[in-house]
Amino acid sequence: MNCKKINIKEGINLHIINTDKFKTNLLAVFLTTPLNRENVTKNALIPMVLRRGSSKLTNIEEINNKLDEMYGADFNCGVDKTGDNQILKFYMESINNNFLPENENLLEESMRVLLDLVFNPLTENNTFKEEYVDSEKQNLKQIILGKIDNKAKYAYDRCIEEMYKDKPFGLYKYGYVEDLENIDSKNLYEYYKKMISECKIDIFISGEVNEQSKEIIENNENIKSINERQAIYNKKSEKADYVEQERIVEEKMDVSQGKLVLGLEVEKNDKQSKYPALVYNAILGGTPTSKMFQNVREKAHLAYVAGSNYIRHKNNIFIRCGIEIKDYQKTLDLIKVQIEDMRKGDFTEEDIKNAKASIVSTIKSIPEEQDSEMMYYFGQEISEQKMEYSEYEQNIQNVQKQEVVDIANSIKINTIYFLTSNN
Amino acid sequence: MQIIENSKVKEKLYIEKLENGLTVMIIPKNNVAKKYIIWATHFGSIDNHFIVPKTGEEVKIPDGVAHFLEHKMFEQRNGTNSLDTLSAIGVDANAYTTNDHTAYLYEATDNFYEALDEFMDYVQNPYFTDENVEKEKGIIGQEIKMYEDYPEWQVYLNAIKCMYKENPVRLDIAGTIESISEITPQVLYNCCDTFYNPANMAMVICGDFVPEEIIKEIKKRIIKNENGGEIKRIYTPLETKINEKEKTVKMDVNNSLFTIGFLDNPNSENIVKKHIAIEILLQMMFGKSSELYRNLYSEGLILNEPQLDYEFTSNYAHVLVTGQSKEPRRVIEEFKKTLDKFIKDGIDEAIFTRTKKKIYGRYVADYNSVSDIARMFLSDYFKGISSFDYLEEYNQVTKEFTQLVLNEVFKEDKMVISIVESKQ
Repeated sequence: MNCKKINIKEGINLHIINTDKFKTNLLAVFLTTPLNRENVTKNALIPMVLRRGSSKLTNIEEINNKLDEMYGADFNCGVDKTGDNQILKFYMESINNNFLPENENLLEESMRVLLDLVFNPLTENNTFKEEYVDSEKQNLKQIILGKIDNKAKYAYDRCIEEMYKDKPFGLYKYGYVEDLENIDSKNLYEYYKKMISECKIDIFISGEVNEQSKEIIENNENIKSINERQAIYNKKSEKADYVEQERIVEEKMDVSQGKLVLGLEVEKNDKQSKYPALVYNAILGGTPTSKMFQNVREKAHLAYVAGSNYIRHKNNIFIRCGIEIKDYQKTLDLIKVQIEDMRKGDFTEEDIKNAKASIVSTIKSIPEEQDSEMMYYFGQEISEQKMEYSEYEQNIQNVQKQEVVDIANSIKINTIYFLTSNN
Repeated sequence: MQIIENSKVKEKLYIEKLENGLTVMIIPKNNVAKKYIIWATHFGSIDNHFIVPKTGEEVKIPDGVAHFLEHKMFEQRNGTNSLDTLSAIGVDANAYTTNDHTAYLYEATDNFYEALDEFMDYVQNPYFTDENVEKEKGIIGQEIKMYEDYPEWQVYLNAIKCMYKENPVRLDIAGTIESISEITPQVLYNCCDTFYNPANMAMVICGDFVPEEIIKEIKKRIIKNENGGEIKRIYTPLETKINEKEKTVKMDVNNSLFTIGFLDNPNSENIVKKHIAIEILLQMMFGKSSELYRNLYSEGLILNEPQLDYEFTSNYAHVLVTGQSKEPRRVIEEFKKTLDKFIKDGIDEAIFTRTKKKIYGRYVADYNSVSDIARMFLSDYFKGISSFDYLEEYNQVTKEFTQLVLNEVFKEDKMVISIVESKQ
């Protein structure tokens, strides 16, 4: 195992990835909690409030001065959704001790600061500091409203939203403006205490680390004081509603280029079908040799961006294109031909081989980046499936054409979303 | 082969200039699985006016040719496309165009040498036809339109346009729908002949390699052995005055964006030292731990840490500060006040030392991935710099020197403002 998992307390795990590929050590804390309408905005707000100050480093000035002194250690946080969970992510990247001009132990210090920021926030009269909550509410409002600023991303988010209307995965990961007025420093702190005592906690260390790192964690005051728990999070995720006829959603904005997104549901959904689904996606739109790239871009010249991605945790494929507004119907028809050709098994053994080569290369590249390696093991942690790279690779190599055709025939277009211009 | 070692990041750089003039740089890393190669020509969007070495003819080319060429180089005479061929063997191939160079690259965990055959073949064998050039116009047209919808790109380009009146750095790298309509196979062949000659190119390789062996493999696959001769580029005169003070456009976005630019003089005795000083200054004035950032952030006037850049080649140089704010004009006013204060009161010793430490950490972290390393060495090479110089010069950057750079670069009359305003 490249990654060693150590149970610290019930519900709290440490994952150590020992690697000498990098100049930095990357530390992370992931808090996993169910994604739902009630808490989504609060969860998005919490990392923003926490990064304003801990009880030891009480404001941005103290935090950033400290980080500068640690040779520009980089602290970062945010929220994400994985399946039907909302993940609160906290990262600390600092230079590996071997590359410091003087002999210091940055790893230990980095871990201390990181855990302090997550688990030991600054409080006043048993609430978060009011000033921080108020100003972060304003910032979060700008972020939520800023959803429209990146049009391609917006179109993608909107397609997911439409596909998962009234379901957890359809929620916007930053939450909703209308929730903000009811959040204050008191109820947010109450919520934080509850969430932090119930969520699943995963701590990652990647770098030139050893067994001592385990002691650093176990002896950390914040870790000592935290309770064990039966972590509450979603192990299963809700599927999109079955649609007889695909849903078509069109929205208008001031854009130069139309953004077309198709949300596909893969109805075959057992653990083994994830591998042929990956191969299917690679052939449909995952690589330069794919049907989307070749036919929509290279042959019909309809787009510069023409591809697809597969979301494993939800078993969905999203096709994305940026096109001339007038070419909407033409492009859509052409995309449907590609999906139909996949159903008919109109692809070669060569296509399968290429798709596998591309996926295998992606697998082999995972340990070449610290964050992607963490996300690989974290993804397994959430889906409760342990698999080394070699086994993963083997599962891809074993995929047969018929399995890909079976996937193709279990695929249904759920939602067609088009962001078009005002004129 | 020349070997340069850096003890701070514990890496070695091997450099060899081949007979045909091609510079090859190798940074071996034996503990990684990914191999990365990048091959580039010193030909970017700004090189639009030059004298063809063979004929002595002076030519002006339409905007966007370097980028257009980048798209078309993959096309092969036998009807195949090298991007597909490389992708089919599981290597991740790509290309990009900047203001001053065009780069072709791939990264591989397997099949590196098989890919090298195809890679070195396609970069050396252009094949353009009326038909394949025509079809690309639709694809690039959509790429141009995609950028039109990016507020970040608009705010950047408008800042550049404010600074420069004539310098081609103000052109969109991809050109415009109109300018690319003029591109023909002949234009592409001319540029290829001129700029894709080994003496005008550089290659960087990073990964688990034995330098002597990989050099042999490269030499085996080199086709052009003659040195193409010096290319005379005709540049617009050095611009010392800003073109216009301010440019504001409205877009359908929620969060307004601003860029503050400072036009600088590209002629510098020691550009690396100056660059380091500018990075320290920008961090001190507007970085995450600056007083200005702290105040603006707590007042809700800035959403996140501004992006701080210094861009330069031999014929332009400028500083760029970009951020998101609901009141960009107030941010700019506050920035001006901070700047005045720094110039008047001088640089604080403690803050200087702390910020310098931070910069050091960043320089070390630049050596984390084979792709970052190779791209860094390549782009620095075309600026006449070795990337190691940043680690070497670091200690020479004193507070006094930094103060001089501050007074020289951050001048009010060289400052421009670009804003993308929310329509709402």
